[in-house]
Amino acid sequence: MSTVICPRCAYETVDHVATSPVPGVWDVLQCGRCLYMWRTTEPERRTRRDAYPEAFRLTPEDIAAAQEVPAIPPLRTGR
Amino acid sequence: MAYDDLRGFLDTLEREGRLLRVPDEVLPEPDLAAAANAAGRIGEGAPALWFDNVTGFTGARIVLNVHGSWPNHALALGLPKDTPIREQVEEFARRWDDFPVAPERREDAPWRENTVEGPDADLFQVLPLFRLNDGDGGFYLDKAAVVSRDPDAPDDFGRQNVGIYRIEVMGRNRLAFQPVPVHDVAIHLRKAEERGEDLPIAITLGNDPVISIVAGMPMAYDQSEYAMAGALRGAPAPIATAPLTGFDVPWGSEVVVEGVIEGRRRELEGPFGEFTGHYSGGRRMPVIRVDRVSYRTDPIFESLYLGMPWTEIDYLVGPNTCVPVLKQLRAEFPEVQAVNAMYTHGLLGIISTRKRYGGFAKAVGMRAMTTPHGLGYLKVVIVVDEDVDPFDLRQVMWAVSAKVDPAVDVITVPGLPVVPLDPASSPPGMIAKLLVDATTPVFPDDRGHFGSPVRDLPETGEWVRRLQALRSEGVR
Repeated sequence: MSTVICPRCAYETVDHVATSPVPGVWDVLQCGRCLYMWRTTEPERRTRRDAYPEAFRLTPEDIAAAQEVPAIPPLRTGR
Repeated sequence: MAYDDLRGFLDTLEREGRLLRVPDEVLPEPDLAAAANAAGRIGEGAPALWFDNVTGFTGARIVLNVHGSWPNHALALGLPKDTPIREQVEEFARRWDDFPVAPERREDAPWRENTVEGPDADLFQVLPLFRLNDGDGGFYLDKAAVVSRDPDAPDDFGRQNVGIYRIEVMGRNRLAFQPVPVHDVAIHLRKAEERGEDLPIAITLGNDPVISIVAGMPMAYDQSEYAMAGALRGAPAPIATAPLTGFDVPWGSEVVVEGVIEGRRRELEGPFGEFTGHYSGGRRMPVIRVDRVSYRTDPIFESLYLGMPWTEIDYLVGPNTCVPVLKQLRAEFPEVQAVNAMYTHGLLGIISTRKRYGGFAKAVGMRAMTTPHGLGYLKVVIVVDEDVDPFDLRQVMWAVSAKVDPAVDVITVPGLPVVPLDPASSPPGMIAKLLVDATTPVFPDDRGHFGSPVRDLPETGEWVRRLQALRSEGVR
């Protein structure tokens, strides 16, 4: 597991989320930064950094710039 | 025929030859989504797809494309499976007039059979979750009916909302959630966040087929989806009380997930391949903490593939988009014959109407753009004569090709609102809208030379029946 990095943002901390009910078939992993989630048996285009499409990759700048939707409204006052 | 749960409907689909069981072992990815994607690529009439042999899972039962054809949509409404789409929309509109039909409360909901809560509420233990499209950020729940209440009126049944939203699984007991500002649940969330509170929520999966139709339907804020379900079913919708939130949820759901949208918190969500045929996402969205999951024994996981249209979602939200626009237009203009707003949830709509006087068709088209659903959709409106069937695109294209003078009949209105998911909107949420008047000009609009139309022969109707009869005999 130590060699696994996030296919989407290349972050090196990956969490284990779930394992297959049939033991040893697959695991579900999640990036600790961009929260991308994948199953280890998915095609390489979804699971390997070097095969992950450019169009879907995220950089730390993309993550920092992510817009808030919907915007958090001001708290009501005077209640 | 009213179905109280998904299982009853699947029995009917199977009996009618409308459910295909895939016996082979399949991978959760990419097979499940690719099969459902393919259902939209094998022509009209694709069946629902059933999988129960999925690599790595034990006992998983997954159904896709349940609403993904006109025969299946007809059966969902209790109509014969060969009912043409225009007739399905007309019958839908007729039943709408029975609204509201009070729901029937039952307390023996089958999802009470099993419960996990607190730290044991692990979605991966209950649902065989899987990815749909390559660029999706994770696994999604995209056909769940989500129930929430107005924090300022928690006892108002009408303002309780039931809607379908995209929900990303972010962890064992965590979800991310997209309430677009025009959605009712966004109003509920805003009120809760203004109060500094969490918003309780119930997410119901695997519902009877009419619940999915009303949950995906553009309805007024204070109209109850359950009361509409009763009208469409021709029988009260069975509901039950969710144990944690106390919300009214479908009696027949396979799984009921309860928790809260955590107030004033956002996390990175998506992307997700949307009904527009484009990804959207990479934004910070509200998140849900799951506190309790109730489920039927051996639950059936119903999901929906969407991507480049047409896919199941176009069938699911096609008729239920046409009907509100049709009803709202007819309320003021009884000349309106039919509305086909089935393209991308009504980003494009076709209206057939009689004309009172010159310019009337253009006025009807502009009014469509200002109906509640039209405000955020109906980017392109085509108006055709009363004898053109808007569901027959061959006739529509004839009308556009033969009736339109682009100098007068094509009107662009800039700076109007549209759903931000429209990939052409710029900035997101802003768009110009297009009106194409493909009707025959009438007095005092005396343009063109339309005085001598060729009409169907008087005997053609009888020959339609004779040919259909001969053809069906030939099939036998």
